[in-house]
Order: sequence, then C-alpha cells, then structure tokens
Amino acid sequence: MKVRGSVEFRDVEMGVWVLVSEDGRTYQIAGGRSSLLKEGQRVEVDGDVDDSAMGIAMVGPILRVRSYRVM
Amino acid sequence: MRSLWCLLGALSLAAACAPQPARNKVTTPGSARAAAVPHALVVDFRDGIPAGEVAERAHRWGLPLRLNSVEGVRSGIAIAEGVDDVDAALARIKGDADVEEAEPLVQMQALAFTPNDPEFPKQWNLRMIHMPEAWEVSHGKGVVVAVIDTGIAYEDHDDYVQVPDLAGARFVAGYDFVHDTDHPNDDNGHGTHVAGTIAQRTNNGIGVAGVAFEARLMPLKVLDRSGIGTSADIADAIRWAADHGAKVLNLSLGGPGYSAVMERAVAYARQRGAVVVCAAGNAGLGQVSYPAAYAGAVAVGAVGPDGQLAPYSSWGEALDIIAPGGNTRLGPGNGILQATIDRTDFRKPVLAEYQGTSMATPHVAGVAALLFAAGARTPDEVEKALFAGAQSEGAWTPRAGHGRLDALGALQALGKSAEPVDWAPLIWSAALLGLLLLSLKVKVRPGYLNVLLNPATLLPLLLSTVGLWFLKLLWQRFVGHPPAAAEVLSLPIPDWERILFGRGRLASPLMYSALAPAIAALLAVRWRALRPVVAGLSLGFAGFLLYAAWAKAPGIAYLPFTFLARPWLVLNGIVAALLARSMLRREARR
Repeated sequence: MKVRGSVEFRDVEMGVWVLVSEDGRTYQIAGGRSSLLKEGQRVEVDGDVDDSAMGIAMVGPILRVRSYRVM
Repeated sequence: MRSLWCLLGALSLAAACAPQPARNKVTTPGSARAAAVPHALVVDFRDGIPAGEVAERAHRWGLPLRLNSVEGVRSGIAIAEGVDDVDAALARIKGDADVEEAEPLVQMQALAFTPNDPEFPKQWNLRMIHMPEAWEVSHGKGVVVAVIDTGIAYEDHDDYVQVPDLAGARFVAGYDFVHDTDHPNDDNGHGTHVAGTIAQRTNNGIGVAGVAFEARLMPLKVLDRSGIGTSADIADAIRWAADHGAKVLNLSLGGPGYSAVMERAVAYARQRGAVVVCAAGNAGLGQVSYPAAYAGAVAVGAVGPDGQLAPYSSWGEALDIIAPGGNTRLGPGNGILQATIDRTDFRKPVLAEYQGTSMATPHVAGVAALLFAAGARTPDEVEKALFAGAQSEGAWTPRAGHGRLDALGALQALGKSAEPVDWAPLIWSAALLGLLLLSLKVKVRPGYLNVLLNPATLLPLLLSTVGLWFLKLLWQRFVGHPPAAAEVLSLPIPDWERILFGRGRLASPLMYSALAPAIAALLAVRWRALRPVVAGLSLGFAGFLLYAAWAKAPGIAYLPFTFLARPWLVLNGIVAALLARSMLRREARR
C-alpha cells in the first residue's frame, strides 16, 4: 500500500518516528533509510502494515517501509 | 390508617436516603511518630486574644512568640522557636491567666521510609503514589514479576553489561524469545527502564529507587533492538511466565491489532493466578491498545506530575487505572527517571528520563507485587485493592479508569476485603413502594408491610437492589474462597453482567434497563402466581435504576453519547415502576 503524509518525531518511550497520513492516521515507521527520517518531510511511502507486530511505541499501526519518495 | 402508614413509610425512607456522601477517598498514612522539636514551644492562649496582647507577652517573657497561622488569631495558638531554656520559659508562661496550655513543640512525622538513593528526590512519580508510606508496609518480598519487553541489562555476558544500580537486585531465570537463548539481555534500554521502576535496587546509596525492590524480576525478551516484536512471541512469553511462577506480568507494549492467540494467553495467565498489567497505548486516542484492552488485563493510562492525563496517553472503555508516566511537555524533570542503558550504545549504563504509558505500567505492576507480598491471594483481590485504593473523584470514568494509583491506598484497601453494601437502591425501592401504593385507589391497595414482608416479593427485591450480600461473607467465614456463583449472587442483578464479563467497567444498557422485569411481567400474565415475585423484581429495578441515574453512576456502554445514559436510566426506571404498580394492583384485586 502507498501512504502519503508527513514524517514526524514523537517523544514517547525511547522516541519514535511516525508518518501522519493525509487522512489523519498515524503509522509507526519501521525500516527505511535514515534519509526518510526528517522532521516535517512530506513523503509517499510504499510499504505494508504489519498487523502481527507490537511494540513499545504504541502510537499506531507499524508500517514496514519498502520504498519511499520525497514529495 | 393504611394510607397513613404508606405516607409515613415513604416520607421517612425518602428522607433517610437524601444526602449522598462524597465518594472522594482521602488517604492518610496509617500512623505517625512524634518527636520534640529542640528549642521550641507552643502556647495556647484563650480564644480570640488580640495579636497586640500576644506581642506584649512576647516582649515581657523575652520570647520570639508569633501566632502559628492565620487561624491563630481565632484559636490563640502561638509558637516560639530558638528558645534557649524551654523548661524555664514554660514555667514563666504557665502562671498567666490568658494561657490555657503551654508545652514543648512536637513534630508529628508520618511513618515513611525514605531511601538513600541520591536521585530519589527527583522521583516525583514515587511520591505521587505514596511509596515512602507504602514501603513501611511492603517491599514486595519474593514475588516474581515478569518483565515482557526488550530484555533487562541484568548480567555481564558477551557484549552485554549489567546496569550498576541493578547489582544485588533479585532475578529468576528468564528467556530470550527473539534470539531463542537463555540470556534475555537488553539491547534497547526500554525493558531495563521498566524493570527498574518495578524493582530497582533501593536504599543502596546509588542511582534511583524502585517500587517493589524486594520482588524478583523475570526477564523475558520478546521485542528486538528497535522495540518491535510479534504477537506469537509475546503470547508465548505470557504463558511461559505464568508456567514459571510469575505472579505479576508487566507488558509495557502494545498495538492496534487484535490477536485471539494473545487474548487466550492473557486469560490463561490470569487463570493461573497472575495479574497481567498492560500499557493503554500512546496514541492519545479514546481507544486502548491490545493487549491492555483484553478482558483479564489491567489497562494502565499515564499522568504527568500535575496529575492530569498525559497528552499522549490513550484512554477509553477498557481503561482500568492511571499512574505516573511523565509529561515532558511540562519541562525537564517531568519524565520518569530510571537507570538503564544508553539507547544508542547498549554497553553504556545511564540514568534516563522517559515518558509513556510504558513508564506508568510498571508502577501498577510493582504495587501489585506489594499486594501479593502483603497477603493477597488472587488476581481478583489484587485488582480490587488497586482500584478501591486509587485516588478518584468517584465512579469509573473513561479518562481515569478507577482513579490514580495509590500504593498506600491499595495496601489499606486490601485489609478491607468485603466491599461495603450500598443500601441506597433498596431504600429508594422501599420509598417508591410507598408512593406507588399511595397512587392506587384504596380498594385495590395492599398494605405496605404486607407487600414488603412477603418472602415472594422480598427476595427478588433484595436480589435486584443489593444482592445476597451476606452470601459471600458467610462463604468466606465458613468455607473459604467463594466460587464465582457466590460472588455473582452477592451483587444486585443489574451488576451480574459486569462482574462476569467486565469486572466493574461500564454497565450494559440491557442489564441497566427494564428488560428483565418486562420479560418477567409477560410470564406473570400467563402464571398469576408469579405476580408478587415480579412486583418485587420490578420495584427493585425501578429503585436501582432511578438511584443510579440520581447518583450519576455508572457509565453505560454502547450508548452513542454518554449524555444519553441518565435519560435512559430514568426512562427505564419509570417503566419498571409502572410494571411494579400494575403487579401490586392486580394482586390486590383478587
């Protein structure tokens, strides 16, 4: 699936990078190169939501990034 | 004469239940010790003595006397500090006609244990839940607490190091489900931080303190270096912990995805006698994440040092309790401080301040360990004490659950195993009976006491308003731990569903409605002999529902808007009252 939105850093737990989609959903970013992780960067991410994954961040579904492009 | 009886009965009973006592719990330390303050004394002048006269005495006696407080002007209580010879000064004072009493100043100190860990003063979170007072009662000795997380920095092994402040803390064997080894060390820092809040080595002169510092930690690693794991590993670890003697399971993790496998694992652990404590989630939304939302888990939300729900904390129908999780938006020092390893270098021990519902959860897990060590036998007893001892404004709410964790309150609540019976619904029903009888014509009106003392009416009336409250008490007294059936029968009928499925969260609108009396009334159309029974049941439901509406308790689940709850209760209460009225009349017609 493809998700468009902006990259944000959330200061909860150990700190977590999230993608806030244009329709307002929050995804926890898993994987992807460090160049993806820039505060406020608008991107289109191609990846999969991992329904069987859980973690310490608990901010939303975990999105495993395959690729992305900066918009 | 009969109508007079009815009127008197109705008025006196209505009057009896008019004032509603405040439900706020005030926690006070169990006891205190007293010590004389050196070179200080207290003088109790006659009430209302002018301040000028106190100043004149101070000058005459050569004492730095000052009124103790603003209130001192009225009460006449003054103190003097820096007095060289207190006894001689008291001898001078006591002859004065305006002095009612004079004595050395005594400092009352609440019984509290203050650990010598140098960073303890920064742990506002432990003071918030009254740990210094609770430590006088329990340290959680011997209770096994499983930390199902990223591991714990508990040993020097390969590249891994032990956090110095954990040296001397008690551990039992754990497991690393991520790498399938017997060395569940931490390569993230999260699990060690959480474990520290539960059972950090305390009063050892270094670092920080932990809640249940004589508990034994069981490290179970289910999350990888990035803090992510699979529901399969987590479910495995939950069962492993329950099978290896853990009494408390701490799961500072979660996700939005439902997993039947994990839900069954949580139910299994609880059935094996373990309390399963889980983080509510950090999405800041009105939905608690899994596994916290499963029946059988204690869902923990987070508050900042101001006691307010933290902006990141999730909340909602499944929330059970709130505990300190920090709020760093309020500035530095407002997170939860613990010893752990550096998040960028797991070989480096650090003191770190984090915020999250993960940080709130181990406070509750730690207090659960204190409760087990203090004599609680079942998860049910622990949860009841946690909820009953919490600081709250009254009934359960979706943003605070049963209230804010209080370690001392929970330990004190544990001693009071039997919940007080709330008689108000029965009193409302009895008053309502008087009003209903008055509304009937004399010819079809039965006598007040004839109705009330008929066993066929009284039993369903008791069952639907207060339950067979004595059943559980008798069982505990003569048999032992009561079975679920006795627990259920000890509660009013509308609450049966809550104890079976919801453990005192929101009520079902079907149970809190006139549905049961209506079905019973239909049966009574066919079988006339049932009428006294249905009269008692309807009357009980009417009193229960109307009282619930008046007392604003509890929340009703599944209704689209919470403001509909009270109209729903009132409407159904009136329907039940009308059913009761028709049953009473028809019975009298025969």
